[in-house]
Amino acid sequence: MFIMCYKKWTIYFLFFLSLTTSFTEKIYAQDRQPSMRVALTGKYPPFSYYDKDGELAGFDVDISREIGKYLNRDVEIIAAEWDGILAGLLANKYDAIIGSMAITPERAKAVNFSLPYYQSGAQLFVHRDNPSKIYGINECNDKKIAAVLGETYQRYLDEKYPNIDVVTLKSSVEIFELLEAKRIQGFVSDRLVGSWQIKSADRPFVPVGPMLYAEDIAIPVRKQDKKLLEQINNALMQMRSDGTMQKIHDKYFGLSSKTADIGSQMSQSVIIKKLAKGFIVTLSIAFASLLIGFVLAIPCGLILNQSTGKWKLLYWPVRTIIDFLRGTPVLIQLLFAWMGLGLSPYVAAIGTLGINSMAYMAEVIRSGLMSVDPGQTRAGRALNLSKVQIFRFVVWPQAFRVAIPSIMNSIVALTKDTALVAVISVAEVIREAQAIISVTFEPSKYYFIVAVMFFVITFPLMKMAGVLEKKIRQKGFVQ
Amino acid sequence: MIEIHDLSYKYPGSKVNALHDINVKLPPEHVFAILGHSGSGKTTLLNCIAQFLRPTIGKVTIDGQNIATIDKKTIHSIVGVVFQKLNLFPHLTVMKNMTLAPINALGIPEKQAQKSAMEMLEKLSIADLAQRYPLQISGGQAQRVAIARALMLQPRYMLLDEPTSALDSQTTSDFAEWLTELQEETCFIIVTHDLPFAQQVASHGIFLQDGVMKTEGNIQEIIDQQTASV
Repeated sequence: MFIMCYKKWTIYFLFFLSLTTSFTEKIYAQDRQPSMRVALTGKYPPFSYYDKDGELAGFDVDISREIGKYLNRDVEIIAAEWDGILAGLLANKYDAIIGSMAITPERAKAVNFSLPYYQSGAQLFVHRDNPSKIYGINECNDKKIAAVLGETYQRYLDEKYPNIDVVTLKSSVEIFELLEAKRIQGFVSDRLVGSWQIKSADRPFVPVGPMLYAEDIAIPVRKQDKKLLEQINNALMQMRSDGTMQKIHDKYFGLSSKTADIGSQMSQSVIIKKLAKGFIVTLSIAFASLLIGFVLAIPCGLILNQSTGKWKLLYWPVRTIIDFLRGTPVLIQLLFAWMGLGLSPYVAAIGTLGINSMAYMAEVIRSGLMSVDPGQTRAGRALNLSKVQIFRFVVWPQAFRVAIPSIMNSIVALTKDTALVAVISVAEVIREAQAIISVTFEPSKYYFIVAVMFFVITFPLMKMAGVLEKKIRQKGFVQ
Repeated sequence: MIEIHDLSYKYPGSKVNALHDINVKLPPEHVFAILGHSGSGKTTLLNCIAQFLRPTIGKVTIDGQNIATIDKKTIHSIVGVVFQKLNLFPHLTVMKNMTLAPINALGIPEKQAQKSAMEMLEKLSIADLAQRYPLQISGGQAQRVAIARALMLQPRYMLLDEPTSALDSQTTSDFAEWLTELQEETCFIIVTHDLPFAQQVASHGIFLQDGVMKTEGNIQEIIDQQTASV
């Protein structure tokens, strides 16, 4: 019975692996196209956001496409998190950032900036009702003022106004929501970004005080990519002289601009499609990681159970690796695999979550093996069974049954951990939800939907773990 | 015939011998008893005979052949063992407990193994237990199943370690009767501290004390001697 179940599960696993592999390869193949890879956040409207069809759009997207035309290269736009966007450039995840990045001396030490493609500046915005009576940055002491983590505004506020309670968030969209709910007193952002929110998204914000400072927005590339920098500069100059730049500027910020389709809602079908696509990616990553984790956990669990004897040479290396994996944050491991080892986002995600779940499941399997009475092995020997047969027919089935509830819990934990891979720009369900939120401005609704999607998967698993545990206790495998 | 020659055994790290200079012949035609109080070395001797322990000095022979030279894969077809804790496989039914070794160790086809297991169970009057799990049957039934499982390999000798330790007096008495019926086909070597039980089933035996063989011979004589010394 057990063997049949085992075989059946193996077939399921292989099936899912093949699905995931082909899916990953497809995305990976797209990554490899000889095009110019450009990064932006997709969460900075009107510079970058997802349009009603769920496609990336905005001022920066148009600039990228135009530069591509001048360079005669295809442009592949990659959505990345702002706080890791420069590290991603240095790790060769993309060739340039066309994401409204301001030139700063610190950044210029690490990368080369193109000529500026627009000028903007830092502006303080507060709620229209202005409950805290703030009319300038000097009245913000002890007030909660938000900025995006890693943006120049955050540094500026920290350095110039140490008495302001600076709240840092991952994206502008979250900041707008907080101010609308009056949970913060204001935010500092690009004046164009804030103004656009007032104009197009009908946000109840007002700019207060003069512009804090002006900044030049440009395109960073890696120091060694001198030729690319020159090409981009040439393209920018041509775009300025032939009027293309002005046209794009007018489209988004011109007085007569209809601002194309900005601000119009994504259709319900696009939203469903995006969430479904993201969820399939999430589940595929979870299944592939689980398969890797489980297959590796069995030998590792066996080795962990053999601190003496002929396997003891392997014991300490395996013990150390597993302790390290369990003792360090998965997020750091993900970032290390992605940027440190230079793996593609999908390989980094599946690999990291796979070996991480291996570490947890190996411990579970070890304790399962330990729970099997040594008398069972002796009985196997007394019945002339070989070592392999004793393991396969006697020890493993008992150890596995004892381990099943904990393995189920590891599966639940792994499924939830897939949420972290959004950070390394994998287009899973959370990232898709963030993209939807950046145009629909309904974070509570879509985060709740995503939570429910996870729950639909994890709840049966948790229930199943409970039922199996009860059954195992009834059969007397554990006391 | 199993013969034990000058056998001593010392556990690793221990300073004293658990068994010291044991010499005995176990005739194949009887139920033979290895008697002694707790800690006297009875189970150690059983483990040496069953090859779970290698004697420090001396040897065990079966029909003249040193047991250490017999292929490990076949030794337990000659000498079957039933442990004190029985060690039935809790995840398998009685039937599967019985057919696991014939199918996998002897390569007997599953159907044939099931047929002979059923015959064995019928012979031992426990056929109704075939589809039960070990934790669903009583201690006395489990004892019989463990012996039936070991008999499936048709060993010439069968070692039973403290077979009555978990049985009440009525079940012990039933078990003794049941065992007597089986001794025609298999030679039983019983390790026990239960003298009345030994008296009921065995004809000959030895008495161990502190790892040394005190007496050997007719079971009644051994018991009389022990009773007299107490």
